Amino acid sequence: MIRLDNVTKIYKGETRAVDGVTLNIEKGEFVFLVGESGSGKSTMLRLLTAEEAATGGQVHVAGKDLARISSWRVPYLRRNIGSVFQDFKLLPQKTVYENVAFALEVIGRPRNIITTQVPAILELVGLSNKQKSFPDELSGGEQQRVSIARAFVNRPLILLADEPTGNLDPNTAQEIMRLLDRINRTGTTVVMATHDQTIVDQMRRRVVALHAGQVVRDEQQGVYA
Amino acid sequence: MAGFLGRAGYFTRETWLNVRRNLTLTVAAILTVAVGVMLVGLGLMARYASSNALGRWQGGVQFEIFMEPDIAGGQIDALGEELRIHPDIERIQYVTQDQAFALLEEMLVDEPELLAEISVESLPSSYRVVPRIAEGEIIESLAAQFRQRPGVYSVETGRQQVDAIREWFNSFRWIVLLMSIVLAAASALLIFNMIRVAMFARRREIEVMKLVGATNSFIRLPFILEGMLHGLAGGLVGAVAAGALRNHVEELFGRSEILAFFRSFTVTSGQFTTATIATVLMGVIVGALGSAFAAGRFLDV
Repeated sequence: MIRLDNVTKIYKGETRAVDGVTLNIEKGEFVFLVGESGSGKSTMLRLLTAEEAATGGQVHVAGKDLARISSWRVPYLRRNIGSVFQDFKLLPQKTVYENVAFALEVIGRPRNIITTQVPAILELVGLSNKQKSFPDELSGGEQQRVSIARAFVNRPLILLADEPTGNLDPNTAQEIMRLLDRINRTGTTVVMATHDQTIVDQMRRRVVALHAGQVVRDEQQGVYA
Repeated sequence: MAGFLGRAGYFTRETWLNVRRNLTLTVAAILTVAVGVMLVGLGLMARYASSNALGRWQGGVQFEIFMEPDIAGGQIDALGEELRIHPDIERIQYVTQDQAFALLEEMLVDEPELLAEISVESLPSSYRVVPRIAEGEIIESLAAQFRQRPGVYSVETGRQQVDAIREWFNSFRWIVLLMSIVLAAASALLIFNMIRVAMFARRREIEVMKLVGATNSFIRLPFILEGMLHGLAGGLVGAVAAGALRNHVEELFGRSEILAFFRSFTVTSGQFTTATIATVLMGVIVGALGSAFAAGRFLDV
C-alpha cells in the first residue's frame, strides 16, 4: 500500500528532514510513527500526500509512483487518503453535517450519496445527535471525531493521522484510538504520527521510530521506547 | 445529471457568497470595468461612424451630384453622358431613387417613424463622381461646373471636412483606445486583488478542499466565475452607458444645424449590436483574466 525506497527530503538545500528511509507498509496495517519533534514524522506524512516531493528515492502510494504522477492527478490520489490533524482543521462556519458533507461535495459526489453517507459516518463516530452543531460548540474529542468522519467518509484506502490525540486529554485520546482501531479493522491502512507513549504502549501495533530523519527501529507489536 | 446540478448549485452558492462578502470592492471593480469597456464601445462606434461617413465619399475623393426629384429621364442620361466623357473624371456611378431609399432605410433603421414620412419619389437620384485627380481644388472646380445645370439640385463635395473629421476621429479613437487599455488593465488588477482577498478569506476551506482531493479547477472555478461575473456586470453597465451616450450624440447631431454635417456619422443598428456585444465580451474577458491569474497564482498543489 505504501512503499518508500531510500527516500530523502532536503529542505532549502540543507535540512535533511527525511534521510534515506526505506519502509514498506502493507494493506490493512496499523503503524505508529514515533520520534521527537523534528525527527521527520510530519514530513513523511506530507510526502505520502504529495504535499511535498521527495528530493531523492521513490515514494509509492496506492500503487502510484509519486515522482511520476502529474500534478493534475494528485487530487485523485488524495481521494484515496484520509488525513487527520492535531488541530482538526474543521470549518468553523459550517455545521458538523456540513463539514463532513463538504468533503464529498467538493469531489463532485452526487447529492443522494452525500445524504446517505454523511449520516452513516456520523453514526459510526457517535455524533448523530450533533449534526447541526457548530465546531465551537463541541469538545475537543468531538471535534476530532468530526475530522475523522470527514477523513473517512469517502472510504479511503489509507488514513494518515498527524498527532490526532495531541490536543486531547487521556480519556478522550482513548476514545479516538478506539475509533481509529475500528476504522483499521475495516481494512483501512492507518499511519499515525504520535508522541503519546501511553497509547503506543497500550495498542501494541507496529512501531517505526525516527531520529534525525532516519528509521532507527521498526518493530511489530512494538512500544514507544 | 443530478451530479451536474449539484455542482452547479455549489458553484452558484459559493460565487454569490464571495460577491456578498466584499461588496464595496465588488462595486469598485464593476464600475472600473464599466468605464473601461464603455470607452471600448464608444471607440468602436466612432470607428464605425467615421468609416460609414467616409464610405460616402470613397475616402474623400468623390463628390455627389444630386438631381431634382422630378427631373426628366432624358436630362439624367444627358448629364451622365457628359460626365462619362469628361476628361477629368475617372468614373461615375448612378444612384437611383430606389437605391437612395435603400441607403436611407439602412441608416434610419432605428427611426421607422421618420422613414415612414419619406417616399421613394421624394428622394433625389444622384451621380457619384470619382475625379481622375483627387485634389480638393480640382474637385471643387468640377463641382462648380455642374452645380448650375438644370435639373441638378445640389453638388456635395465635403472633402476638406471629411479629411478634418477623419483626422479628428482618428485621434479620438487612439485616445479612447489608450484610455480603455489603461482602464482595462486597472480593472483586471482590481479583480485580481479582489480574488486574492476572497481566496485569503477562504484559505481554510481551500486547504480542506485540497486535503480531501478536490481538483484545482474545482477550487478555482467559483473564483473565476466571480471575476467573470464582475466583468459581465461591468460590461453590461458600460454597454448601456455607451448606448445612451450614442443616442444622445446622434440626437444632438439631428437637432442642431451647425452639427448637420455629422449626420452621416451614424452607426447602423447591426454595428451598434456588434459594438455592444464586443463591449460586454470585453468586460467578461477582463474579469476572467484577472481572476484566473489570481486563482492560478495563489493556489499551489
